[in-house]
Amino acid sequence: MASFLIRRLLYSIIVLFVVSFFAFAAVRATFNPLAKLAASKDVEVKQRESERLGLNRPMVVQYGDFMGKFVQGNWGQSESTHEAVSAMIQRSMVATLQLIIPGVILSIVAAIGLGVYSAVKQYSAGDYFLTAFSFVGIALPPFWFGLIAIEFLAVQPKSWFGLQQTPLYFVGLHSGDGAGVNWDYFRHLILPVLTLTVQIIAGWSRFQRASMLDVLSADYVRTAKAKGVPRKQVIFKHAFRNALVPMVTVMALDIGALFGGLVITESIFSIPGMGRMFLNALQNGDAPVLAVWVIVTAGFVLLFNLFADLTYGLLDPRVRLA
Amino acid sequence: MQQAFQWYVHSCLTHMSGAARLGWTAPDMPYRHTKRETCVKRNLRPTRLLAALLALGLIAAACSSSSTTATTATTQVNVPQGGSLVIGAEQEPDCLDWIATCGASSWGYWMANVTTMPRAYDPVKDGDQYGYVPGVLLTGEADLKTDPTQVVTYHINPKAVWSDGQPITSADFKYTWEQIATGTDIYDKTGYSDISAVDATDPATAVVTFSTPFASWKSLFGGGYGVLPSHILSAVPDRDAAMKDGYKWSGGPYLIDSWNKTESITLVPNPKWYGPTQSHLDKVIFKFVADTSAEFQAFKGGEVKMIYPQPQLDVVDQINAGLADTNSTFNAETGSYEAIWMNNAAAPVDDVKVRQAIGYSIDRDAIVNKLFGQLGVTTALQVMNAPIVNAYSDTQAFAGYKPDLAKVDELLTSDGYAKGSDGIYAKGGKPLTITVTSTAGNKRRELTEQVMQQQLKDAGIGMTIANQKAGDFFGQVLPAGTYMVGIYAQQLTSIDPGRCGQMCSKNIPTDANGSTGNNVSRINVPELDPLLAAVDNTLDNQVRTDKNKQADGVTADQLVSLPLDPLPDIVLWNKSVVGPVGDNAVLGPWWNLQDWGVTP
Repeated sequence: MASFLIRRLLYSIIVLFVVSFFAFAAVRATFNPLAKLAASKDVEVKQRESERLGLNRPMVVQYGDFMGKFVQGNWGQSESTHEAVSAMIQRSMVATLQLIIPGVILSIVAAIGLGVYSAVKQYSAGDYFLTAFSFVGIALPPFWFGLIAIEFLAVQPKSWFGLQQTPLYFVGLHSGDGAGVNWDYFRHLILPVLTLTVQIIAGWSRFQRASMLDVLSADYVRTAKAKGVPRKQVIFKHAFRNALVPMVTVMALDIGALFGGLVITESIFSIPGMGRMFLNALQNGDAPVLAVWVIVTAGFVLLFNLFADLTYGLLDPRVRLA
Repeated sequence: MQQAFQWYVHSCLTHMSGAARLGWTAPDMPYRHTKRETCVKRNLRPTRLLAALLALGLIAAACSSSSTTATTATTQVNVPQGGSLVIGAEQEPDCLDWIATCGASSWGYWMANVTTMPRAYDPVKDGDQYGYVPGVLLTGEADLKTDPTQVVTYHINPKAVWSDGQPITSADFKYTWEQIATGTDIYDKTGYSDISAVDATDPATAVVTFSTPFASWKSLFGGGYGVLPSHILSAVPDRDAAMKDGYKWSGGPYLIDSWNKTESITLVPNPKWYGPTQSHLDKVIFKFVADTSAEFQAFKGGEVKMIYPQPQLDVVDQINAGLADTNSTFNAETGSYEAIWMNNAAAPVDDVKVRQAIGYSIDRDAIVNKLFGQLGVTTALQVMNAPIVNAYSDTQAFAGYKPDLAKVDELLTSDGYAKGSDGIYAKGGKPLTITVTSTAGNKRRELTEQVMQQQLKDAGIGMTIANQKAGDFFGQVLPAGTYMVGIYAQQLTSIDPGRCGQMCSKNIPTDANGSTGNNVSRINVPELDPLLAAVDNTLDNQVRTDKNKQADGVTADQLVSLPLDPLPDIVLWNKSVVGPVGDNAVLGPWWNLQDWGVTP
């Protein structure tokens, strides 16, 4: 187990370096951070800024300078805002986590429950309904669902019921310049979390259903039924745990990717998370921010990948990690 | 009472003159230090008071209509005290260090610079033209000497103080100049680098001496920057660090209470504000709303009470779909204009006859009407400059370029082209086809391209479309000149007609200048250079205007590029927001925020 962990960590570090290099190089080759200076009437400003930011140096030198500071804990400064990248990542991650945590918890509970029900009640009316719901959920583009949800769950009810305010809010995480966890905060959180979870639940519930059906048709389950083991015990003690194993792997990988931010959801609901930070940095050609974003996101994916492998070993004693 | 009377006179005369039909509201007119206002003050005598009151009654009766102008003027006297206003902001500024490269954000400027920074001159509408009037920071017009060198003497208002009570002095002018002229991370040093000295011996008088004449001197110590507080910033080691994330001082009507990054900027009244009106509002919150559709939904749902959307097609559709309890104003006389920019160094548009043929092929009025007709903007721009500098422009320079297929044929056949069987002109076996590049995903520009494509085809000129991501287009394609024809907008941030940066041959990006020049259209017209240089350096306003108009004529004759449309400003606000709400094409809609209020 220990050698397995060390090997995986070393592999992850190499992957992170390679990924960050390609991200840095791609942004430098694609975007010009001096483009915003086009409106300046100062004919010397681009040359001045190019020298100040070291943009006239070879790209490899720029990357080396950036990574040299990064490994010493200095994540650099945004070329657009002059803010410390570490502070930007911290702030954005806090906002994204406020969507991910409730979203994932809700998705896990709903997806597993719906998937198990669909599998156990295969070909029932409920199963057909949930299958249709899943397909619609997977097909719905999140940006469309988000805007529709805003229109029909917030804006229209205000006029339908003659309300003073919309029942749910959809700009940021607080009204005005408010703060804290309160009823206003929850009214802001409902729609973005709903938008996030619809697609996730739709996908995961299908996977759980398939996994559960696979296990329910196994010989040992048939043996358990033949032995007279109670139905609930067959489903939850024998089938469910085994069906959960591949499901955990899928969930772990998907959750890892969520830490990169939910670009569409955060844009529609103006949530200041990792996705919006990524989008702003991309539009500004802000290579230091993008490189760190890639490292952090890839780090979470690798971490959750490792978590999935470890959990796999825990859930299935037949698996030994070496 | 006197101010209220002035508002009635302003708004009602505007209404009766028909100006209101053009979407002007009373706030488009200046409310301080104008000739008309001064005239009204001087002519009020006690013996004429009864006549004035009778006239007021007649005017009030004439003005009892449902026009927006009369409505906003009436509510000026009834602006309630107190309350908060939440405004939707489409973009968050990168930083609030106004003179740094990160501070060049239009939204940041409108929200937090205009409301907190003192300015020597304000760009406001005087009559039907934009011009500079002395701000409340000054006691009146600055003194200008031009011989032997340019010297501008600013007389500072003795009442002008910072929010900590310290007076605003000539030392602040000097500090501001030094920071900009000698700083490293500065967005635009233009003008400040022409100053050789600022004499701050007398705290109430700043004497600014120029080494090189700078015609747009009224945009200095104001403009996109303002005046910085020397007593606060010179005491800190790093001005940028002290300002970029927000600052707790002010020389304007508001203070920045907080900047919750990526969420909102909150302003509160500056208790030491020395202007004529103190804020009626307790708090103003600019909430960042990234998505345009969500912005409109937030406005309809009441989460924000005011928005200032970009003039995009979906915005026009949203407005036409109907917005309840909403006031609106559309201002076509803005600092932004869209044009068909031709790369004068790229074949076939390096040929003036081809460029002129394109000019006679396109029905620009039809394009503008299609884009903005529903907002009342139906005619194309006829000069390669923004409407806010119309006072300096030959506003009909390009009026001759209307669809004329006979003219197209005459130009192209004299240039060796002949129409092929496919209806497209060709020379030497090569069909005349232009490639138009613009920003991908911009529906307004994509519609423009589609209409142009059909019009050019009808005229016998082929057109292909090769749009790029905005970052690529502005960051790579334009500087490198790897395009033939581009569609994009220019935005003026001051009332400065100068265009040498974009049109003088010395500013063509080359390897020699590290590809940093802004003349991305590669305009190289010998007679144009000295005219544009004179516009930048001539201090005589009349001479400057004449030179600029001559330059307009040359740009039209050579068709260096083709103006298309002014980009209108659109302001939408809930009816609970009262006061002289409107638009200033340079300062933005919140230039007089302290005069507004909200009804409960």
